[in-house]
Amino acid sequence: MQNLATKYGGALLWIVGLGLPLALNDAWVAIAAMFAIYSVVALSEDIILGRGGMFDMGHAVYFGIGAYVTGILNVNYGWPIFATMPVAMLLAAAVGALLAGPLIRLRGDYLLVASIGFNAIFVLAMQNNLLGLTGGSDGVAGLDIPRLFGFQLASQNSMFWLDWVVLGLVILLMNNLDRSEFGRTLRYLKQDELAATMIGVDPRKAKTLAFALGAAVAGLAGTLFAVQLSTVSPSSFVFTESVTLFAIVIVGGQGSVPGVLLGTALMFVLPEVFRGLAQYRYLVFGFAMILVMVLRPQGLWPRRRARA
Amino acid sequence: MGTFIQQMFNGLTVGGIYALIALGYTMVYGVMRLINFAHGDLCILGAFVGLTFITSFGGGGHLGAAMVIFAFVAAVLVVAAAGVLLELAAYRPLRKADRLAAVVSALGASMLIENGIMLVWSPQVSVFPSGLLPTTTYHIAGASISFVQVMIIAVSFVLMAALYLFVNHTRFGTAIRAAAIDQDAARLMGINVNRVIASVFVIGPALGAVGGLFVGIYYREVYFTMGWTYGLYAFIAAILGGIGNIPGAMIGGILLGLFNAFAAGYLSSSWQDAITFALLIGILLVRPTGILGERVAEKV
Repeated sequence: MQNLATKYGGALLWIVGLGLPLALNDAWVAIAAMFAIYSVVALSEDIILGRGGMFDMGHAVYFGIGAYVTGILNVNYGWPIFATMPVAMLLAAAVGALLAGPLIRLRGDYLLVASIGFNAIFVLAMQNNLLGLTGGSDGVAGLDIPRLFGFQLASQNSMFWLDWVVLGLVILLMNNLDRSEFGRTLRYLKQDELAATMIGVDPRKAKTLAFALGAAVAGLAGTLFAVQLSTVSPSSFVFTESVTLFAIVIVGGQGSVPGVLLGTALMFVLPEVFRGLAQYRYLVFGFAMILVMVLRPQGLWPRRRARA
Repeated sequence: MGTFIQQMFNGLTVGGIYALIALGYTMVYGVMRLINFAHGDLCILGAFVGLTFITSFGGGGHLGAAMVIFAFVAAVLVVAAAGVLLELAAYRPLRKADRLAAVVSALGASMLIENGIMLVWSPQVSVFPSGLLPTTTYHIAGASISFVQVMIIAVSFVLMAALYLFVNHTRFGTAIRAAAIDQDAARLMGINVNRVIASVFVIGPALGAVGGLFVGIYYREVYFTMGWTYGLYAFIAAILGGIGNIPGAMIGGILLGLFNAFAAGYLSSSWQDAITFALLIGILLVRPTGILGERVAEKV
């Protein structure tokens, strides 16, 4: 019963969400769009961290690669936004798989530290204008609006709908992941790697695939992010962004879609709501992170154990 | 040759600071298996407390040097108290929980302290007054080394030696090492593990406060986000030497300081951080347990 309630409750909430632009002004629709985009990134982090059990604290790299691919291809080479999307996903996935090579040889805290290192190197590479394409500290500016079958998604509302549809698709992907062989493999690996190996799971393959999939989804979010801001700069992908994504998954609940969405709402939407208290918000934020962990170490909305 | 000696002394100065801060990371990790992400911020808190002490009581001349000593004492006391409070409030309730919960709690604590510093002191760069300490410069083989550098190198080496002796040659030091190896066994031997953990959160932040105040005195300015930068570097130093290993943190700190100084002197400075992180990843891959860390058997 509860299963049904969460399942259809979620679908219902998503449909209600479609109507948000009718109720909100442009500034709030922009926040809702950012919520959708960051939810997608946070869910993609959850594939690696929450489901794969790998302490990835450099997830902003894949998000950034998606955004930069879209920015560079669109501004420098005139590609339409939607044509850059698959390239953004593929390149992010390729980098994810590439970095997974060394990363998955490490475990626990060592993996975490190495991924911080990759994040730092990525940001420096962008700032130092790698290959003369990334535009240094200013980044890439002046992206086109997305066009689809002759329609121009120019208004904030239409961009929100685009982001919302992508979010819906990614949630479906996450639910399918739960039921698929690959999802079960990851879960098994996370719980007991040795036992999983014994029954024929190839940990390297599964972990690399988890990184590639998580990175591809993050890259997709990167495209949306670049479109939303119409500019891409290194400061959006610094290590503290990775820390926030990491915290969202743990504060929300590992492997739990509603948990991750709730976490994203807390970490990205609440700070916007409390804009007036700008200087106090991160203080409160830090305090809240400690409080949530002490009171609910499993996260705000943990994954139900019965099905795990 | 002049450049070489110069960079060597610059490296030793920064390396001493890294080592002092790295000791806090490594001691906490050794006993609790927790990366205390708030440690860097605690250290910079020490710099701000010291600065307040200097500017509100400090005079020039002979008083200057005495004030600096008092500032160190104040910084050490405040930061050690903050360290104990942090452990009690943010880490102790999570000792039996999923380890990632403690990691996020540490990240939250870091954010809390960093923004607390910004609100209490300043969102801008705070400048240390000049003329506090003698401005003597020593010339050795074409390099000029300031009094402050000599002081930082000397004090950090003395503190490290003292810590080494304390941990290896006292009863309480033995208790710390025992708790680091196996908490349950240590408890069975009658060791009060809670006291050991609390002591680690006194000693680490106290040394870190000295390191943080050295940062302020050496560069003559502090900024509330500096905790992240210095914390990260010190943490890399701790890993370099073998995290959890006390002499390793000292060696890692010095080596990282020297590496950075020579990289800045001889290689590109805009890629300096990237080189450091590449070194970190390389070390993690080739020898994840660092220079002095022992190879830990994988738990099955």
